[in-house]
Amino acid sequence: MDLALIARWKGGDQRAATELVQRHAQSLARFAASHGGSDGVDELVQDTFVRAFNSLESFRADSSLRTWLFTILKRLMLDRQRAERRQRNQVELDEGHAVQEFDALDGMVADETMGRVHRAMERLSPLQKSVFTLRVTEGMAYADIARVVESTEGACRVHYHNAMRAIKEYLRDD
Amino acid sequence: MTDCPDGLMRDQLPEYVHGTLAAAEAARVDGHLEVCAACREEVALLQTVRAVAAHRTPAMDVAAIVAALPAAPVAIRVMTSRPRWTAVRSWQYAAAAVLLLAVSSTTLWRAPRADGPARLADSTQAPARVGASSDTPAVVAVPARATSGMSFGGGLSDLSLDDLQALLIQMDSVKAVPSSDPAPMTPVIATTEGEKSL
Repeated sequence: MDLALIARWKGGDQRAATELVQRHAQSLARFAASHGGSDGVDELVQDTFVRAFNSLESFRADSSLRTWLFTILKRLMLDRQRAERRQRNQVELDEGHAVQEFDALDGMVADETMGRVHRAMERLSPLQKSVFTLRVTEGMAYADIARVVESTEGACRVHYHNAMRAIKEYLRDD
Repeated sequence: MTDCPDGLMRDQLPEYVHGTLAAAEAARVDGHLEVCAACREEVALLQTVRAVAAHRTPAMDVAAIVAALPAAPVAIRVMTSRPRWTAVRSWQYAAAAVLLLAVSSTTLWRAPRADGPARLADSTQAPARVGASSDTPAVVAVPARATSGMSFGGGLSDLSLDDLQALLIQMDSVKAVPSSDPAPMTPVIATTEGEKSL
C-alpha cells in the first residue's frame, strides 16, 4: 500500500502524499508524545515527513515505510533532546520546574488507572520506553523495533519484558 | 499480578490487542485467555497503555503537514517547464533546421560531380586561375583531386572508397609531434678554394 502510494507520488500525484501522511501521522505523534508530552509533537511529526519526502528517492523497500518514518522520528527526537539538554545546562533549570511540568502532563490523564499507568511508563528508561511504546501502542514486530532503536531483535525482546515487569511492579506497589 | 509461564503466548499479546494476528493464532490466544488470569490482566494493561497513548496525543493537522512537503517530482517538472513562448521558439528553430537541410540537399544535388571542378579550394595547390575575359564569370578552377600530399580538396563526400583509404594511410603516416632531436647535418664552410665539409 505504502509502496503504491510512493509510486503515485513520484508520478506526480500530490494526493498520494496526503494519504501517506494520513496513514502514519497519528502513530508517529503517539510515539513522540510518549517520550516528551504533547509539546512540539506536531512539529516533530511534520519534520519527520519533510525529511522523509526529501529523501524518498533513497528509500529502500527492504524495511517498511512505517519503520523508516519511525527511525527518522527517533533521530529527530534524540537531536531535540540533546538540544534541550544543552539549553537546560545553560539556564540551569531547577528541579521544581520539572516537577511542575510532570504534574501538568499528569493532569491531562483523567482516568486514575490511566494516570497510574502513565506514571509507571514515565519511570522506564528511554530505551525501554521506546521499545515498549512501539510494541504496545503500534504493534510493531521486534525486528522493526530493532531497526528504529538501532539495537538487536533479542535485546528489544528483553527490553520489552523488563519494561512490562517494571510497570506491573509499579502498579502493584503504588 | 504473576506472569504467565508461557512466554511465547505473552509475546503475542500485543499483536492480539492490535488485531493483527492471523485468525488461527487469535483463536489460540482466545482459548488461552479463558483459562489464564495473568494473561487477561496483561491484555487489560496493554489496552490501558494504548488508551493512555491515544489520550495524550494531539490530533495531527494532516493538511498543514502536507503543505510543508516538497511537491511531487513530476509536479515540479511541470511547474518548471519552459513557458509557452520558448516552446514556440523551439518550433521556429525546428522549422529553420528543416529549411536549412532542404537547401543544403538541393545545393549538393546540383553540385558538379567529382570529375568536374572542385567546390572547395585546396590550400596545398596552386592559386586558383580566374577567368580571363571580363564577361566570363569568375570561376575558381582548382584541380578536383590532390595529386600529391594530403588533401581534402573537393570534400570528403566526393572521394571514392579508394581515395578515402589512401587518405587514411596518409593521415597515419603524419607525425603529429615532431621529434625533439635535431636532424644530423654536416656543416659546410665556404672558402676561396671552394666549399669544404668538416
